Amino acid sequence: MRESSSVPEEVKFRLNYLWIFVIICFFILVMSLWYFQLIKGEELAQKALENCIRSLVENAPRGKIYDRNKELLVTNRPAVIVSVIPGEIEDIEKLSNKLGGILGIDPGQIQKKIKEYYLNPFKTVKIFDDCRINKIIEIEERQDELKGVVLEIQPRRKYLYHDLAAHSLGYVGEINKEELIEMNAQDFQGGDIIGKTGLEKYYDQILRGEKGGKEVEVDALGREIATLLYRKSIPGKDIILTIDKNLQQFGESLLNDKKGSIIVSNSHTGEILALVNKPSFNPNLFVGTILPEDWERLSTDSNYPLSNRSIQGLYSPGSTFKVVTAIAALEEGITDEKRKIYCSGKFKIVDQVFKCWKEGGHGSLDIYGGISHSCNIYFYTIGKDLGIEKLNKYMQKFGFGEKVGIDLPTESLGTIPSSEWKQREFHEIWYPGDTINLSIGQGFLSITPFQLHNVISAVATEGIIYKYHLVKEIVSPDGKLDKEIGAEIYREIDVSPNTFKIVKEGLRETILKGTGWRANIKELEVSGKTGTAQNPQGETHAWFIGYVPLGESLICITVFVENGGDGSEAAAPIARAMLEKLFNIQR
Amino acid sequence: MKRNLGRLSENIDYTLLITVVILCFYGLIVLYSSTRMTTAGGDGYYFVKRQILWMLSGFTFLTMILFIDYHYVEKYSKFAYFMAIILLVMVIFSGKTIYGARRWLPIGPFEFQPSEFAKIALIIFLADFLNKNREKLDYFFYFLIPFVYTGLFILLVFMQPDLGTSLVYMAILVIMLFVVGVKIKFLATVFFTALSSIPILWIFLKEYQKRRIILFINPNIDPLGGGYNVIQSKIAIGSGGLLGKGLFGGLQSQLHFLPAQHTDFIFSVVGEELGFLGTLFLLGLYAIILWRGIKIAREAKDLLGSLLASGAVAFLLFHIFVNIGMAMGILPATGLPLPFLSYGGTFMISNLVLIGILLNVEIHKVKW
Repeated sequence: MRESSSVPEEVKFRLNYLWIFVIICFFILVMSLWYFQLIKGEELAQKALENCIRSLVENAPRGKIYDRNKELLVTNRPAVIVSVIPGEIEDIEKLSNKLGGILGIDPGQIQKKIKEYYLNPFKTVKIFDDCRINKIIEIEERQDELKGVVLEIQPRRKYLYHDLAAHSLGYVGEINKEELIEMNAQDFQGGDIIGKTGLEKYYDQILRGEKGGKEVEVDALGREIATLLYRKSIPGKDIILTIDKNLQQFGESLLNDKKGSIIVSNSHTGEILALVNKPSFNPNLFVGTILPEDWERLSTDSNYPLSNRSIQGLYSPGSTFKVVTAIAALEEGITDEKRKIYCSGKFKIVDQVFKCWKEGGHGSLDIYGGISHSCNIYFYTIGKDLGIEKLNKYMQKFGFGEKVGIDLPTESLGTIPSSEWKQREFHEIWYPGDTINLSIGQGFLSITPFQLHNVISAVATEGIIYKYHLVKEIVSPDGKLDKEIGAEIYREIDVSPNTFKIVKEGLRETILKGTGWRANIKELEVSGKTGTAQNPQGETHAWFIGYVPLGESLICITVFVENGGDGSEAAAPIARAMLEKLFNIQR
Repeated sequence: MKRNLGRLSENIDYTLLITVVILCFYGLIVLYSSTRMTTAGGDGYYFVKRQILWMLSGFTFLTMILFIDYHYVEKYSKFAYFMAIILLVMVIFSGKTIYGARRWLPIGPFEFQPSEFAKIALIIFLADFLNKNREKLDYFFYFLIPFVYTGLFILLVFMQPDLGTSLVYMAILVIMLFVVGVKIKFLATVFFTALSSIPILWIFLKEYQKRRIILFINPNIDPLGGGYNVIQSKIAIGSGGLLGKGLFGGLQSQLHFLPAQHTDFIFSVVGEELGFLGTLFLLGLYAIILWRGIKIAREAKDLLGSLLASGAVAFLLFHIFVNIGMAMGILPATGLPLPFLSYGGTFMISNLVLIGILLNVEIHKVKW
């Protein structure tokens, strides 16, 4: 039956070799499997486990911010972020074209982003932040053609009144590398939203709450399959400000188109009722990612809208500083109620001539007239008698060159000049003329408006400065009061009551018959001092500092108008308007 | 007919046939495990059902082949060759693009992969050609002619582009030439010429193919990009250990960390869920098929049958070795499926057709 095979012997021989080759191939495979599965098995099993367990962060909703009358100022809103999952994209070019068409952005940019921020096939890449509702609807409708596109919802900070009190409120943003290093890196991770400036930064820990998180088992697309561990996030606490929104708004309208600050505080408690800084900015622009053109505009604006002038701007105080000179002279016995000084309009020292602002002079003046008419000659005289050492001592007493300690980050310190300081900075000796300039608040002295506010507060309270604060209460998410921030003495100024009495009378006279008459309100007992500070940059800065006692409260006000002109004309009327608004006086 | 059936059942290689049937069931179980979580068509059995359909069609083809004397190959080998060329040209002009390559031709509701058909056509054509021209192959010029025929196939699939399949054609040719008994020094000459021309070939490789080769050399260059498949696959196989994590228990495969885990990377699922014993069992089944294949080639009635069987063995061996090697990262990711396990219609049918050819050669070693 069976016929002998006609397959050549050579072929059979070669087939034996093929069989050997097959055995070698299988031997290689078996050895490799042996190595991977039995020798490296444990290690790779661990990797497999890590692969599918992911820690997910649950962000806590950030605390809200209210004004003193519980009116909502800052809240959170949901924002929709358009992202893509690179691993799910079928045709990157087509997708970019479609998505770019809907979002109105260049498809090339989308492709670039996907390539630039690509981490792994399943990690989303953010394409468009805070998408508008009509675009969201279009994306959802066309989901079939947009495979790989996902919409994610994230809470976003919303500043309801845009630029209102922007410098105090500050803004939030994504944590950056420096901040990650600076803060405890364990509590933070890239992408976290933190307070960047203002109260958002100062009270960040309170507002931020505590991140929760969970360990979940995920599949390769990052879809959650099971939760292994869960810790609920703790929402941030709300804060209630000392700021009165209506007064703040009114103050901002007064400084509209101007540069400057208004500080209104109750100096019996340290509460700030209004803290106006102009020009301002819209913190909503910073939320998420600020557009390059917005940042360019804000950061290069020569009017510095981002600067919180009240605590960061440094200026000469001008004649408002005469309050400090007067106190120093009274305390040091250089002058008293009775000493009269004759003002001829000119004051000569060595070979220099200093002038009074009033041509022809004020004639003979005591300290009350000196203050109320803001006579330069009076203060040149007592300043010269005091000398720089003693003046410096009083500047330090009032806290110049130091932080005022308000609950805001990044205060400027300013400079208090002394002979050592001048030697160090300019390698020059202190000339008598320097003291003359300083005694009327010109020359080397530079202060922040808030440091000057300290002076008027100290006079009004007769020596006690309470810790300034913008936050009144901290409220738990369940509505319970968590912490009340009350009056706390920050600094006591060792000056005799009699000195304060004399200066206060001088300040009252300033309003009644002196340079501050424009701030007079007949229903109220306003005291104050104007100032007009020369500055090399241009038009003079206008100043007004004042206070009004009323029952329990003691309202102090500082008005500063940068390049505003004359203190009496530009600053005093603003102070009056603010006080009228505050005390609800109709005109 | 009755006589034929009797002979058929008497002479058929049951070892081979049963091994293939076991392998098919093994494949279905692994396929179910790897696809039950993907709900294509809202059905966990979607892929399994379709695969069963391919198997049934494949076994139908296999049975049909048993009734045809393989000597018909002498008549139709040229026809098969030209059909393959026509289909490969068609796919370039009107094929469907999947994963950046045109490989499929739509036929009704199904998609047909001409490059798979071409593998079988090539085996048939080369078997006939080498059988008829065995003596002339001692001349180097004649020895080069089959390279020209095969080269045309390689060129056409390279244009799709499909690097893996062109390597399969080359492997079939080389193994068949070796078996037919060409001078070893001829093969060595071709081998070293090819080796030295790699730098020139490199220019013609698509960017993604170059990347694959670079990533094969070091997959950690881009662990989450191009090297992702291989790394995930290695993790899956390794984490299986001795006994595996049990069917449906693979973390990597059940959570779909393995891309293409039901097609090119199905071996990783076997490795993870069934462990070293599971993979060893699988390799054992393959070894039996190849052993029977070579045995059939040795005991064939004539050179033509021997060459047909050798071609089938070459096809299967190359796919098995390259696919498993790729899953473990010891060979570059060329995108070749694993016989009887990987999901795919044309491939499953062509696997069973090869078995049909082997069984046919086996049956006809005795005169009917």
